[in-house]
Amino acid sequence: MTTVIETKSLSKWYGNVLGLSDVSLEIEAGITGLLGPNGAGKSTFMKLITGQMKPNIGGVTVRGEEVWNNFRLFRKIGFCPEQDAFYEDVTGWEFLTGLLRLYGFRPAEVTGRAARALEIVELTADKDRKIRSYSRGMRQRVKFAQSVAHDPDIIILDEPLSGLDPLGKRRLIRLVKDFQSEGKTIIVSSHVLPEIEAMTSRIIMIHQGKILAQGDIHGIRDLIERYPHMISVRCADARAVAARFVQDPSILKMSFGPDARSLVVETHNRDAFFSRLQSVVLETGIEVEEISSPDDNLQAVFDYLVVR
Amino acid sequence: MATVREKGYYHWEGRLTESRFPWWPITRTGILLAFKKRGFRFLFAGAFLPAVVFLAGIYISERLEDFKFMVRGSERLININPAYFKTYLANDGILFLMIMVLVLGCAGLISDDLKHNSLQIYFSRPLRKQDYLLGKMAVVFFFILIVTLIPGLLLFVFKLVFAGSFKFFLDYPWLILSVIGYSLILTLFFAFYTLLLSSLSKNTRYVMILLFMIYIFSDILYGILNGIFRTPLMALFSIKANLQQVAAFVFAEKLPHAVPVFWSFLVLAAVCGLSALVLHRKIRGVEVIR
Repeated sequence: MTTVIETKSLSKWYGNVLGLSDVSLEIEAGITGLLGPNGAGKSTFMKLITGQMKPNIGGVTVRGEEVWNNFRLFRKIGFCPEQDAFYEDVTGWEFLTGLLRLYGFRPAEVTGRAARALEIVELTADKDRKIRSYSRGMRQRVKFAQSVAHDPDIIILDEPLSGLDPLGKRRLIRLVKDFQSEGKTIIVSSHVLPEIEAMTSRIIMIHQGKILAQGDIHGIRDLIERYPHMISVRCADARAVAARFVQDPSILKMSFGPDARSLVVETHNRDAFFSRLQSVVLETGIEVEEISSPDDNLQAVFDYLVVR
Repeated sequence: MATVREKGYYHWEGRLTESRFPWWPITRTGILLAFKKRGFRFLFAGAFLPAVVFLAGIYISERLEDFKFMVRGSERLININPAYFKTYLANDGILFLMIMVLVLGCAGLISDDLKHNSLQIYFSRPLRKQDYLLGKMAVVFFFILIVTLIPGLLLFVFKLVFAGSFKFFLDYPWLILSVIGYSLILTLFFAFYTLLLSSLSKNTRYVMILLFMIYIFSDILYGILNGIFRTPLMALFSIKANLQQVAAFVFAEKLPHAVPVFWSFLVLAAVCGLSALVLHRKIRGVEVIR
C-alpha cells in the first residue's frame, strides 16, 4: 500500500504548552483510528495534517506534497472539526451551499452536491431549518456532510460520533466504511474506544502529544507483552480447570465468576496458556463452552499504555 | 416497524474547477447574514434617505422658479457645485449613518467567525487568508459604496439630466473622479476600521459598542483636547474630522481644520496599517491554547 499522509518529526507547541512532539508516521489509504484522551494532541495532529497550522518542527506531506500553505491540496481533504463551527442563523442548506461555493463549483454543482450530502446524512427534510433548531445529532451530521460534500480523497473526522444516538452512530460508521471501500483515506479520532474499534483495527494511540503505538490492534497488543493478558474461560467446572493452572508460573491471577462456571485468568504468556489449556481439556474431559479475551479490545490496550 | 435503510455515497461526476473569485462566497454569506437582521434592513433602507433629499435638492435647483416659495433665502444651500457633493459624502449625518450600518451589519464579520469557530472550517478549504479578508472587506465595500459611490454618481447623472446639458460636467470634469476617489477612501478606511474591531472579540455586542463608541469618543476627545490646548492639531484625534478634512481636500474645498491634510491622511493610513497588522496576527485557522 502507498503512503497517503506522511509526517516527519512533527512537533507543535503553543507557548509553553506542548501540542505534539516528534511524531513520525505513515498513513495509508483506508480507515485509521486516532485514539487518545482529551488533550492528548489528536486535534492538533488533525489540524497539522489538514494544513491549518504550521508545525514548529518537521513537516506533513499529503500524497507527496507539503500540506502547509498548499491550499489547492485542500480540495482533496475533507475536515470535520470536533466543535460546532457554524452560524446558528443559517439553514443547513445555506451552510452547505455556502461552503461548497468556496471550492468554485458551478451553481448547479453546488446544489447537486449539497443535496447529495444532505441525503446521505438524512437531513434532506430538515435542510431549510435554521441550525439553531438542530439537535446535537443533527449538528454532528451536517458537520459530517460538509466534510464529504466536495468528494475529497482524504477525510479527517475529529470525534465524529459524539452526540449521535446509537442508530445515528451505526449509520455514520456504515458511511465511513463505504468511503473506505471507495479507496479513500479516512482518519477518525475518538476517545471512546469501542467506536473506533467498530470502524477499524488500524489505530494510532496518542497521549501527551506523543505517539504511544501504531498498527493493528492485535499487533499493538503484542507490543505490550509485559502487561498481562486477561482470558476468560467458560466451562462446566471452572475450579477444576483452575486447579490445573495453579502451579503454572505464567499465571498471575485467577478469579471466578458468580456461577462458578467462568474462570478469568491473567497471564504473561497467552500462547503458553492456550497450549496448556488444550492439554487440560483433553486430560480432564471438561467441556469448554467459551474462550474469550475480555481485555483484547482497544479500551484494555489503551488502559495498559496510558493509565498504568 | 419501519425498515432502516442504509445509504451509500454516490460520486459526483462533475469536474473540479478553480474559482477565480474565491473570496466571493465569504462576501455573499456576510451580506446574507446582515440582511437577516431585521433592524439592519430598516436602517439600511433609511441610509438612502439623504440621497433622496440631495436628489430633491438637485431637482429643485433646476426648477428654482417653481419652488421659489420653498427656498426663499436658502438658494445658497442648493447651489449645486463640488461642495454640494462633498456635503453629501462627508456630512455628519451620513457618516453617522454609515457607522450605524457598520454597527448593525458588519460588527460580526470576524467576531462571529471567532465565536462559532468557523475559521477552521474556512481554512480547511482552498481559501487563503487574503481571500478570507478580501471577502470580509468586500462586505463593508458593498454596504458603504452602495450609500456613497452609487448615489454620488447618480446625483451627478441626475444633475446633467435635470439640467438638460453637459455644462455642469464641463465646469467640473474632475468631480466624478472626486466622488469615486473619496468614496473609495471612505470605504477602505471603514473596512479596515470595522475588521480591526471585529477581530478583537468573539462577542459581537462588544464589537458593536466599540465601533460606535470609538467613532463618537474620538470626536468628543477632539472637542475636549481642543478646549484645553486650543490647537486645531487636536482634530487629528477625531475620525470624523480626519474624514471631513480628506473630503475637503479631494473635492478641492477649503479645509475645515487648519491642519495639513497630509496628517489626516497619515492618521487614517495608520489605522488601516494597525488593522492590517492585527488581522494578520489574529486570523488563524485554529484556536490557540493559552
